[in-house]
Amino acid sequence: MKRYAIFLGCTVPVRAQHYELATRNVAKELGIEFVDLKESSCCGFPLKALDAETSLLMAARNIGLASNLGLDVVTLCNSCTAMLSDAQVKLQTSGFRKKFTELGFSYPNNIKVRHFVRMLYEDFGLENLKKAIKKPLKNLKIISHYGCHYLRPSYLHSFDNAENPHTLDELVGLTGANVIEYQEKKLCCGGSVLGVDEELAIKMANQKLFVAKNNNADVMISICPFCTVMYEDNQRKVETKFNISYNLPILYYPQLLGLGLGLTTDAVGLKFNRIRPESIFSKIV
Amino acid sequence: MLDLRKSDINFKWEIIKQEGGEGLLKCFGCSDCSASCPVRYLDERYNPRKIIRLTLLGMKDEVLASRFLWLCAHCHACTERCPQGIHVAEVINAIKNYAVKQGFCPDGLKVQLNLLNNSGRLYELEDFDLRKRQRLGLPEIAKKILDVSRIFQATKIIERVAK
Repeated sequence: MKRYAIFLGCTVPVRAQHYELATRNVAKELGIEFVDLKESSCCGFPLKALDAETSLLMAARNIGLASNLGLDVVTLCNSCTAMLSDAQVKLQTSGFRKKFTELGFSYPNNIKVRHFVRMLYEDFGLENLKKAIKKPLKNLKIISHYGCHYLRPSYLHSFDNAENPHTLDELVGLTGANVIEYQEKKLCCGGSVLGVDEELAIKMANQKLFVAKNNNADVMISICPFCTVMYEDNQRKVETKFNISYNLPILYYPQLLGLGLGLTTDAVGLKFNRIRPESIFSKIV
Repeated sequence: MLDLRKSDINFKWEIIKQEGGEGLLKCFGCSDCSASCPVRYLDERYNPRKIIRLTLLGMKDEVLASRFLWLCAHCHACTERCPQGIHVAEVINAIKNYAVKQGFCPDGLKVQLNLLNNSGRLYELEDFDLRKRQRLGLPEIAKKILDVSRIFQATKIIERVAK
C-alpha cells in the first residue's frame, strides 16, 4: 500500500467536501493510504500578492509537517500545489531556510509535492488505472479543464506540457469517456481576480463554458476547487450576464474516476454538485 | 502624457529587491507577455508590458496607484512565453508586494489577512461544517492553526498593512 500525506488547504474541507470524499474513496479503492496533516493551515497563496515571503513561510510550514513524517504530499487544489512547490524550492536556499528554522519549524526530508491527479498519473500509471475500470463511461462527452497552477509555472512543476497539456485528457480517456480535443485548454478560470473585479472574472469563466457548449460537452472536469467556484458556483451569473444557457455539470476528476471504478453516486458525493448532474445519470448506467 | 521628469530612478532597484522581482532588468519590451495574457485579451486596462516598462522608467506613482496592477490573475501564461526567461507573473507580484509596503493594499486582501490571522484558514470551520464532515465520514481537522499568526508576527505583515 502506498502512503501519502494529504494536504487539503482551505477550500476543499469546507466548501468541497464531495471532492474530498470522492478522492478518499477512490484512494481506498486503489489501495492508497492517506495520512492527514491535521495541523495544516491555508497554503499561503491568498497572501502572495500581499507579501510573498509570508506566504512562502506558511507553505513551508505545511510541507514541513509532511516532511517530518517522511511522506510525499498530495494536494487537491492547483494553487496549493504551486504554492507548496515554490516553498520547497525556496527551502533549498540558505537565507529562507534560516528564517524558517528560526521560527521553530523543520523540514528534515526532501519530499515531493504533487497534485493527486499527477500522482495517479506518475505513481499508478494509465495502464494500471485502466485495468481497474469496472464500468466504462463510454457514453459521456467530456471537456477537461486543467487550470493554471497544475502545470504553470513549468519551472516549478516540470510535468506534462504547459503549452499543450495532455495528462488530464488521458486520465479522463481511460475511464472510457469521449475526450473533447480543443484549442483553448490553457484558459484561466478567472478565480484569482474574482475579489478584485467580478465582472472580469465572470467574462473569463464564460470563455471556457462557451467552448464546452460549442463542443456539446456533457460534463466539464475540474481538478481545482477554485476553478469549480468559477465554473459551477458562478455559472448562473455567467448565464445571466451573457444571456445564455449552459447548465453544464462540473465534476471533479476523482468523482468521474470513482464512477468508472464502480463506486456509487453517493460514494463520489454527486448529490453535492451544485449544477445537478442528473442529466448524465442515464448515460452512466 | 507621461512626465518623465517625475521619474524615480530608485524604483526599479526597489522592485528587484522584492521576492520574485529579480528578472525585471532583463526585459527588452517585446510584449510576448501581453500577447499571451488572458486578462489583457478581455480587458485592455491591464497590460503587463506597460507595467514593466513604466517600472523600468521609474514611474512609481503611475504604477503603484494603478488599480489595474491588481487585475493580474497570476496565471503564468506570460512566464511560459517570455523569451528572456523572466518570471513575469512573479515580477508583477513583486510590484504588488512593494505597493503594499507603500500603503496601497486592496481591501479584499486585508480581509483575507485578518481571517488567516484569526484561524489560519480562509474559511472558518463552523460547527455546521464539522457536523457535515462527521456525517460524511471525513476525518477531524483543527479549527484554528495558531502557528500562522506566529509567522505573521515574524514578518510584521499586520503592521505593514495597517500603515
